[in-house]
Amino acid sequence: MKFRIILLLSVSMLLSAILISACKKNDTVTETYNPTYLNFTVPAGWPTPPTNIFANNPLTEEGFQLGKKLFYDGKLSKDGNFPCASCHQQFAAFATFDHDFSHGFNNSFTTRNAPGLFNLAWMTKMHWDGGISHIEVQPLAPITAQNEMAETIENVLIKLNADVDYPRLFKSAFGSSDITSQRMLKALAQFMGSIISSNSKYDQVKRGEASFTSSEQNGYTFFKAHCETCHKEPLFTDNSFRNTGMAVNPFLNDFGSMRITNDRNDSLKFKVPSLRNVLLTFPYSHDGRFYSLGAVLDHYRTGIITTQPTLDPLLVGRIAMTNNEKNDLIYFLNTLSDTTMTKAARFAQ
Amino acid sequence: MNTCKSLMFCLLSIFLINCQKSNIDELQTGTLKITIKNTVKGVPIVLNTVNYTNSHGEQYSISKFKYYLSNISVTGTASNPAVAQYFLIDESNPASLSFSLTVPVSSYTGISYLLGVDSARNVSGAQTGALDPLNDMFWTWNSGYIMAKMEGNSPQSTVVNNKVEYHIGGFAGSNSVLKYGGFSLPGSAVDIRPGKLSEVFIEADFDKWWQGSYDLKIADNPAVTTPGTLAKSISDNYKNMFTITEIKNY
Repeated sequence: MKFRIILLLSVSMLLSAILISACKKNDTVTETYNPTYLNFTVPAGWPTPPTNIFANNPLTEEGFQLGKKLFYDGKLSKDGNFPCASCHQQFAAFATFDHDFSHGFNNSFTTRNAPGLFNLAWMTKMHWDGGISHIEVQPLAPITAQNEMAETIENVLIKLNADVDYPRLFKSAFGSSDITSQRMLKALAQFMGSIISSNSKYDQVKRGEASFTSSEQNGYTFFKAHCETCHKEPLFTDNSFRNTGMAVNPFLNDFGSMRITNDRNDSLKFKVPSLRNVLLTFPYSHDGRFYSLGAVLDHYRTGIITTQPTLDPLLVGRIAMTNNEKNDLIYFLNTLSDTTMTKAARFAQ
Repeated sequence: MNTCKSLMFCLLSIFLINCQKSNIDELQTGTLKITIKNTVKGVPIVLNTVNYTNSHGEQYSISKFKYYLSNISVTGTASNPAVAQYFLIDESNPASLSFSLTVPVSSYTGISYLLGVDSARNVSGAQTGALDPLNDMFWTWNSGYIMAKMEGNSPQSTVVNNKVEYHIGGFAGSNSVLKYGGFSLPGSAVDIRPGKLSEVFIEADFDKWWQGSYDLKIADNPAVTTPGTLAKSISDNYKNMFTITEIKNY
């Protein structure tokens, strides 16, 4: 009797479940979608990111791995030669090593220096001019730029759909094998947004796991006094846009964020880059005109054009610096390199 | 055994209530269909082949005419809040020229809309559907949607191939081109009844782009493809392009 009750109960429950699910419309979630959700961990002592870039893009292992595959895949470019990683090399903190301008499709040059990619979850705007508002839409720019990857989004999706692996990978990341621009961009955002650089010698010193040499300490003291307002710790940028008094390159006529804001007060203002991994991301400045840290510091000592109307107020007197101070500062900047990040297998192809 | 029967009855009831819910919803809502006719001074647009003349005496043809309508809501004794639904009206795609909304049963005396994509959605990352960058209405170099786009040719254009290109966008600050607008309907003209269809016919007159608060001349500005004061001026003109031509309650 008891057995029959249980049997009847189970049958009726099963029946009801089937009926209820039959009643639902457009239920496309497949029962096999079971991704591994990941936590985004803010390093100890760091501020919370200004916005949660994963709020509408739940971070999963499958999404991250798909994003990584896309990042390293030449299919995203017109001729197959220019994956994201061609300009964003892990060993160069995801900048282009030793290039003022990166190379794009058909022997072209980019018009700005490729920035390193790390700690993007804290970055409020992308591009040297701040034109990009969200990490998810950032890849649209290099993919479609004629002097970068030179491809159309339509063609990228056609190539991904024709691939033997991608439909399956999109399914495991997003629940169905539909390959859309939104999913591709969200996957890329999961990969790029997960790249965190927080284990340089500087970080180890801050955590009490290492100590600065006296030169590094002197450099850090100088940094705190003269550089820290813009290159704010622990991210080493305040995410602002400033004019540091460089001459306009007549080949480029690049006036920075004025192009985006249409405000002449923003003329010649460029994003303050993070100084993390700065040793690896040479050459420096928006057009890569400075080939060494010494050249950058010489600019701040003696090169700033003080007559530019939009020059940052903090730089009108330039930055006085003795040769010893300059050398110490470079020693300190060297402590910002994070080989844990640049060698992490997790971020490698 | 009785326990079993009552249990089964309970479960089936749950199922039935569950199913009925949507039927009840259907009884309390109707469909508002918006149908758009793009014209030049009341004459339906013919892409590519027809030459038009603007109020400045300039000749032009139209090869593309696309714009976003969003955040549509109806008002009356009842009102439904604007929903974040986005429609890309594309003259080259007949299917895009009408769309339907589900609204609560009531008589409505007004419709409000946004000609464009609200600023929040411009900065919310990768989108899909009407807002998919595949629709060629998203700027890759300056995040944000092109709210309205016209392309064509004109002998008065001085740029390459006599092109005319107006890509109007920008959602921030004083140069925002977002145009919130609305219509007052005569009496309770849109009468949404349970499960029934009401259709509002709207004419969009492209001719309004050329004048209004700003004289847009092809000879002076054959191409406007960045946010700024010019784009803002053109949007101040085109915000007047809509009129309701007919309302049908079926």
